[in-house]
Amino acid sequence: MAGLAREAGASQPSGIGFSGVTVAYKGAVALDRLDLDVAPGEIMAIIGPSGCGKTTALRAVAGFVRPLRGRIRIGATDVTDLPPYARDIGMVVQNYALFPHMRVAENVAFGLRARRAPAGLIAERTGECLAMVGMAQYADRYPRQLSGGQQQRIAIARALAIRPRVLLLDEPLSALDAQIRRNMLGELTRLHRDLPHLTVLYVTHDQTEALTLADRIAIMRDGRLVAHGPSQMLYRAPPNRFAAEFLGRTNLLKVRHDGEDGRFCRVRLGDTVLRAMTPPVALAGDVLLCLRPHDIFLAPVTVAPANTLHATVIDVQWLGEQHSIVLDVAGQALRLVSTPLRDPPAPGAVVAVHFAAEDASLIAEETG
Amino acid sequence: MASDGLAALPVARPRLDGAWVLPPLAILVALFFYPLALIVQQSVTAADGRRDPGAYARVLSGPLFVNALLHTIEIALAATAGCLALGFVMALVLTFVPFPGARALSRLIDTFIALPTFLIALALTFLYGSAGIANLSIMQMTGATAPPIDFLYTVAGVVLAEVTVYTPFVMRPLLAAFSLIETAQIEVASSLGAGAWRIIREIILPAALPALLAGGSLCLLLTVNEFGIVFFIGAKGVVTLPLLVYGKAIQEDDYTAACVIAVVNIALSLSLYLLYRLMVARAEQGRRGS
Amino acid sequence: MLVWSLTGRLGAWTLLAVVFGVIYVLPLAVIALASFAGEWNGMLPSHLTLANYADVMAGESGEQLQVSLITGALASAIALLSGTWAAIALRAVAPAPRRLLDLLFFVPSAVPSVSVGLGLLVAFSQKPVLLNGTTAIVIIAHLVLISAFTYGNVAAGLARLAPEFEQVAESLGARPMFRLRHVTLPLVKPYLVAALSLSFAMSMGELGATAMVYPPGWVTMPVGIFALTDRGEVFQGAALTMVLAASTLAVLVGLSLVPTKAAAR
Repeated sequence: MAGLAREAGASQPSGIGFSGVTVAYKGAVALDRLDLDVAPGEIMAIIGPSGCGKTTALRAVAGFVRPLRGRIRIGATDVTDLPPYARDIGMVVQNYALFPHMRVAENVAFGLRARRAPAGLIAERTGECLAMVGMAQYADRYPRQLSGGQQQRIAIARALAIRPRVLLLDEPLSALDAQIRRNMLGELTRLHRDLPHLTVLYVTHDQTEALTLADRIAIMRDGRLVAHGPSQMLYRAPPNRFAAEFLGRTNLLKVRHDGEDGRFCRVRLGDTVLRAMTPPVALAGDVLLCLRPHDIFLAPVTVAPANTLHATVIDVQWLGEQHSIVLDVAGQALRLVSTPLRDPPAPGAVVAVHFAAEDASLIAEETG
Repeated sequence: MASDGLAALPVARPRLDGAWVLPPLAILVALFFYPLALIVQQSVTAADGRRDPGAYARVLSGPLFVNALLHTIEIALAATAGCLALGFVMALVLTFVPFPGARALSRLIDTFIALPTFLIALALTFLYGSAGIANLSIMQMTGATAPPIDFLYTVAGVVLAEVTVYTPFVMRPLLAAFSLIETAQIEVASSLGAGAWRIIREIILPAALPALLAGGSLCLLLTVNEFGIVFFIGAKGVVTLPLLVYGKAIQEDDYTAACVIAVVNIALSLSLYLLYRLMVARAEQGRRGS
Repeated sequence: MLVWSLTGRLGAWTLLAVVFGVIYVLPLAVIALASFAGEWNGMLPSHLTLANYADVMAGESGEQLQVSLITGALASAIALLSGTWAAIALRAVAPAPRRLLDLLFFVPSAVPSVSVGLGLLVAFSQKPVLLNGTTAIVIIAHLVLISAFTYGNVAAGLARLAPEFEQVAESLGARPMFRLRHVTLPLVKPYLVAALSLSFAMSMGELGATAMVYPPGWVTMPVGIFALTDRGEVFQGAALTMVLAASTLAVLVGLSLVPTKAAAR
């Protein structure tokens, strides 16, 4: 998108760093020794169940929450002791928080006025940012005259007007309708492409948003970081059970580890030998085989490729865009989804299903 | 950042935010608590400046004080009861037997709070005073020589005035509490066969109880403190503590006695205020819990 | 929805009408009528006149209107400033001392107004500060009595303010003063106006403390009304009462026209 002479923060180092950050409220630990780095120009999504600490982590970066221990870094600056207005951040919240007593243009110009920017720059930057989010013609309206999606775009423009080093987004799309949410996701992706130096920390409970938008994802639970990594890798080879179950739906089959062959390894499910990807950390004994429902295919009975399982059909559901089939494999439940079948198998039928070894990963069986 | 043409980021200043409360606090102390302390001091100081430790015993055992205290309490209790009853009935009808203009009516009643309390007292003397409409009309019609209606110059008159003036203070929390009662509850109860009285007793009253307690304790406080009404009605037999303080100080120049009575009056008021705060806190808790 | 039968509803409305009529409408109508009355010896005045108003607006009562308006304006303005300052400052105080301070700021409204007057009289009739017999002491008395209400109103408004507004403002680079001026105060404007209205109305009607401390040169309308009725000029008293009520309501209506729609609810 033309028009932005200088990228946000191009002259300043960016990126976020948490080192051993612990936050406690009234005795309850909200963040437990969080160590996480967000690279400059990256979008990192923090997801997790409610109460996991993701919002606390965001607010710690913003400066509204003081860590009990640990340091927080934005760019090359340790900001732990700095108040929010000195941290060079932009923030977008769930209910937009547009100042109702100011027009749209005044809202967007607020940060620049607070920093005493010259009037010419304010006017120019405001126009630029409004155009960037496609809201230039609404400059004179009041927030209450705008729809939810429009308000959120203004909130984003307002945060970007000050060219922050870091953009913090706290569930920015949860208050919007599903359709608008999809549109906004596209807009946010486009914005990130146009501002490659802007580091973005995105908190959400919606995995689709995380998977669509983020370069890397961090999964949290009970104040601790449970898993983090590039989105694709985290999805395809989750490091632990919680990550596997939280990010997308998955099948976890109890199998027995039976030796490695370099890139792949063997596991036993009853009498069947299957091949999966070798995990980065060596495992042995009883482990879990992680298979995504969309990576399992119904095989015609005559063909027998490697990694085939025989299973009994328990339930078949047609969901419009997909068929969802639940099977029984040696006493364990297995679910697969496929593009709609013209001739779905009937419950009780015995079928063969197969999957590729590259799509199967191993996870340690955790107790408790 | 300077290359962007923007001013430098604001410098972080040390946070002394809590200290900002000191100026208004200082004004409060200088103009209220300091005078209060001096009242206490004056209550044990005689007119000539010497210590007078016996002042309390002397004043508090005197018949004037005991009389005033009893009247104050009597009037406060009666007026509060009246406010609660009247406020409950009016709020009930306004909310649950609605008619067009009910909302406007309740806001009109609200504006009465802006008017001075003695206004009603003055109006009542026009209506029920010895030379008022009621008496003169009755005297004209019956040919009596003495005004037959004289309740105005008794406790009843003061209570009537205070009920008029302070009922809105009960109605406001009641109307708010009533608006939180789901109409669905009442409709279901009706469909199950409950009559109006039963619904009032078993659904509305319990929901209104916290508001009644809060409004009632507020009324107690306000009626104990009331001066204008009693002053304007000016009945010789009806003296309350505030009026006695005024009399002792301004009319008799006896500041020691005035301060003694004021101390008692203030202690009574502060206890009622704490009671009121407690009732409000309970009402808030109940509201959040439901 | 409580009463279904028409007779029941009519009964309830009649009860309300009677109660409201006798307790509220009748007294006010009587005062209004009395203010226009020339002579009144029976059920209705014998003749109506504007002379009461004329007498009242000329001479000392006209001055009393001025005195009341000036006292009200000054006291409520200062009370608004002080109460707002206290309410905002208190947000930054730790929870335990904050509850105590909150109670303290409300105490002046809990105490009888006569005692407030007495306290001021006793305190400022002696050294170090002598205000006995001055205009200032009347203004101070009103100020003390109404500052608790401005504080309460503004504190309630601030409590209802969603924290996101100020947080986002801060994240955008607004220092505390800038935030206060451009975000916090505009957003609680309705409460500020309500506080001002309430305080002004209370000051106009204040009698207890004023009666204790007023100097002969600074007589407010309530004191003047009492003086009139006390010496038997009841119709003029009624007229002055109507002037008091009308001027109070006029200011309140004027304040309610201050634009506050854009602020957050």
